Amino acid sequence: MKVLIIEDEEALNSSIVEYLRSLDYTCESVTNYRDALQKIDLYDYDCVILDIMLPDGNGLKLLQEIRAQNKADGVIIVSARNQLDDKLKGLSLGADDYLTKPFHLAELSLRIAAIVRRKNHLLTDKLEFEEISIDLVEKKVTVNEIALQLTKTEYKFLVYFIVNKNRLLSKNLIAEHLWGDDMEAVQSFDFMYAHIKNLRKKLINAGSGDYIHSVYGMGYKFGIS
Amino acid sequence: MKLFTRYNRINVAATIAIFLLGSCLFYFLVHYILLHQLDEALETERTEILAFSQKHGKLPEVLNTPDQYTFYQQASTPVREHFYNGYVRYVKGREWSRQIDFPAEVNGIAYRVTVSKPLEETEGLLSVIIVVTILLIALVLISSQLINRAVLNKLWHPFYEAIDFLKRFKVDQKGDFALKPSGIDEFDQLNKGISDVLRRVQADFESLNEFTSYAAHEMQTPLAVIRAKLELIQQDESVFRQYAGHMVAIEQAVRKLSKLYQSLLLLTKIENGQFTFTEQVRMDEVLQNKLGELDDLINTKGISIDTNIAPASLTFHAYLADILAGNILNNAVRYNFDGGMISVRLTGNELVISNTSYLPAMEQERVFQRFFRSAEAKEEGNGLGLAIVKRICEAAGYSITYSYAGGRHSFCIVF
Repeated sequence: MKVLIIEDEEALNSSIVEYLRSLDYTCESVTNYRDALQKIDLYDYDCVILDIMLPDGNGLKLLQEIRAQNKADGVIIVSARNQLDDKLKGLSLGADDYLTKPFHLAELSLRIAAIVRRKNHLLTDKLEFEEISIDLVEKKVTVNEIALQLTKTEYKFLVYFIVNKNRLLSKNLIAEHLWGDDMEAVQSFDFMYAHIKNLRKKLINAGSGDYIHSVYGMGYKFGIS
Repeated sequence: MKLFTRYNRINVAATIAIFLLGSCLFYFLVHYILLHQLDEALETERTEILAFSQKHGKLPEVLNTPDQYTFYQQASTPVREHFYNGYVRYVKGREWSRQIDFPAEVNGIAYRVTVSKPLEETEGLLSVIIVVTILLIALVLISSQLINRAVLNKLWHPFYEAIDFLKRFKVDQKGDFALKPSGIDEFDQLNKGISDVLRRVQADFESLNEFTSYAAHEMQTPLAVIRAKLELIQQDESVFRQYAGHMVAIEQAVRKLSKLYQSLLLLTKIENGQFTFTEQVRMDEVLQNKLGELDDLINTKGISIDTNIAPASLTFHAYLADILAGNILNNAVRYNFDGGMISVRLTGNELVISNTSYLPAMEQERVFQRFFRSAEAKEEGNGLGLAIVKRICEAAGYSITYSYAGGRHSFCIVF
């Protein structure tokens, strides 16, 4: 999987690269419009992460360039502007997704994974981990080909875990992904345990391995330990 | 009061005053001229009588006509020649007259001769002048009224056009605009003034907007860096274990800052009227979706929900509808106690959301203020949620009221 990161802020750029490399993506990164244009002209990427405010040009022009060249690269716009117009403009110009800064790397990886899957499997959109398989279109989970009934929240947990497998995910991070701004409505995330406990039980009962690991009560890690 | 009405009042008053004054002067002038003529006629009469008496040694025979009356009288005292007015009986009757008294001496006897001529003509003249004046005033007023009505409306047309343009002007509208030239210097000057000011305002607004947006960019990027670095550090389990508390605190601070800035940007945007309310929004669906999103949290707190949501389609803005419903419902969950309740009632013309809470009644005036937070509030919050709700309602032309009764906080929005 090849990802191009176009972000002028060096520190953020390198963080994204580091995170994505740990998830086994092949990353290339540039920090300005000129270099980005060159890369886009020369290579094909599975996904381009595009900051629309660059010191020497507008990221939306790069997006137009990508689409003008009929490239199939998935594009995720990352912008500090949470302005509706920009978002709609970006999406109408052919961006696949739009993330507002400051975003979580785990959230970014989720969006990239979705785009890469969509690109590689045009008909079915499946996420797989060992014996677990998730049909993201039908929102159905199977373990060893046998259907597993999950609640909406458990389903979201599982997708988030599999995409960010082997990463330590703090409770804060998970809560923000699942409940967004509403997470402020509760003082503690203890109720998360109940959902995760249920999910874990359902998976094990269905014959899957025990992949959800609690880490010192700080968060969770999904993977073969 | 309309300028036209105002002008008309002054105009009518001034016209009447001028005409009244004018006709008085005219009357006195004419009166004076006529009197002078009468006096001259009486003088001629005197000269003739005196000439006759000198020539013939006796006074002429009195021949009284309907408009002349002569009278002789022996004078015991010396007679002074003078003019005066008085009633005189003529052949046809008594009339107000101009008279002259003068001495005449015939054969050593002193006489007082009085000749009178009626003032009837001047009186007739007076009434004619009054009638003509009234007719003239009426004619001038009616015609000026008609002319003003027809001409002024047309003349002021560019002015009303300019006002209409100002009313429709939105500070964030893009591109240049032009006010139609009217061909009248004053209005063209006004239009030029308006255009100059509006262009300046537009430019200022644009640069301010650019500034806020740029400031947002400048602020959000470092926040993104902090957040990303934090996430990377967290991957080192031993470090995470050691500094978990600090990291959570940093993470929360980042989220707070980012949320605060986004809320302020949104408030500014609403206040600047940068949203247009033209979309048809199914408010019932918005509420149901939001309740669905909050489901986990509602269950966690053991809050019971009582809904009575009828289908309602509003001319609104989808994004703002979402924020409106989200902010109120989020508060209803956030400041509720475990096992509390929330009631949501939607009809075609109002939305009432009420909830139990551990917070006491809030002050009416302060509840929608920016950064207002109840002193007892324990949960996180930046105090902008309800301020945003209020601004959205104002911008959409809805009214929102807060009330507290029986341990329940209620927000009622009338569409």
